[in-house]
Amino acid sequence: MSEYSDKELLELFKDIEKRNFAFNLIVRKYQQKLYWHIRKIVIKHEDADDILQNTFIKVWKSLVGFREDSKLYTWLYRIATNESLTFLKQQKTKYLMPIVDYENQLKETLESDEYFNGDEILRNLHKAILGLPEKQRIVFNMKYFEEMKYDDMSEILKTSVGALKASYHHAVKKIEKYFTED
Amino acid sequence: MGKFNKKLEELKENNKNPFSVPEGYFDSFPQKLQERISSESPEYYWFARLFQVVKQQFALGFMIVAFAVIAITTVNVVLSDKAESVIDSDLYTRIIEVDASEFSEQHFIDVLLNDEKEIEEQKQKESDLYIYYLVDEDIDYGTLIDEL
Repeated sequence: MSEYSDKELLELFKDIEKRNFAFNLIVRKYQQKLYWHIRKIVIKHEDADDILQNTFIKVWKSLVGFREDSKLYTWLYRIATNESLTFLKQQKTKYLMPIVDYENQLKETLESDEYFNGDEILRNLHKAILGLPEKQRIVFNMKYFEEMKYDDMSEILKTSVGALKASYHHAVKKIEKYFTED
Repeated sequence: MGKFNKKLEELKENNKNPFSVPEGYFDSFPQKLQERISSESPEYYWFARLFQVVKQQFALGFMIVAFAVIAITTVNVVLSDKAESVIDSDLYTRIIEVDASEFSEQHFIDVLLNDEKEIEEQKQKESDLYIYYLVDEDIDYGTLIDEL
């Protein structure tokens, strides 16, 4: 499975006879990375599952027109990020919630999540991360957990490297403040 | 801040991903996704596949149809221009017969005579004006002719 590079997968996808096979390989290659990226944004497994499916459906529909201006990997992350942000926006407007209430709800989800196995320190770390503004939270997750390069993050989030570095710096400071106040 | 960064790094090294998924989730996900894609809009994918197969033939056919439409339109425009410049002789005869039948010969003569009469009257008025002017200014017409 891993012997196929993104370029080879895209070449395979262009062949109509091998399209399903190529798409299946793309899903298998990226499903875990994208799932964890989404999961850290929306916290709940069921929501992450829905968003991951929507992400790949969008990929299936748009991959024919993919112009290869960007890397497949960053393109997939961009779709997943946008889908996650759209989901959060929909949740807030659906229940007419202020941002703070929605953050609290996510923290409660984290408390009761049967698929969260971290200790108290990690739970506190994730609660602190949930207190960050959405974009800052995504930047922190990508840099800290996924160890992504700033250049790739810049392509995914369409933000300058300088702004991303500043965003990460502010995020770390806020998390530190959370821990010292706690 | 540097101290806290170090602490964060240690925290990451000592702990695995705290989130987990139901057992076999990633193994079954591609199949689940494939089923959803197939059920969501089969006609779309059927059309997309068909379109990919017939794309070239479709493009060629479209070009032929477009060429035919342009050619037919051009021919029609050229022919219609010619048709407008030539009046159908039957129609022409009919117009003469219908319109001319509304006027008698005497009517034409009266109109012609009336026109001539109006011209004469106009000339008379103009010569009267000249005469009045010469009289008012006390100019002798014979002298005027001599001077000229």
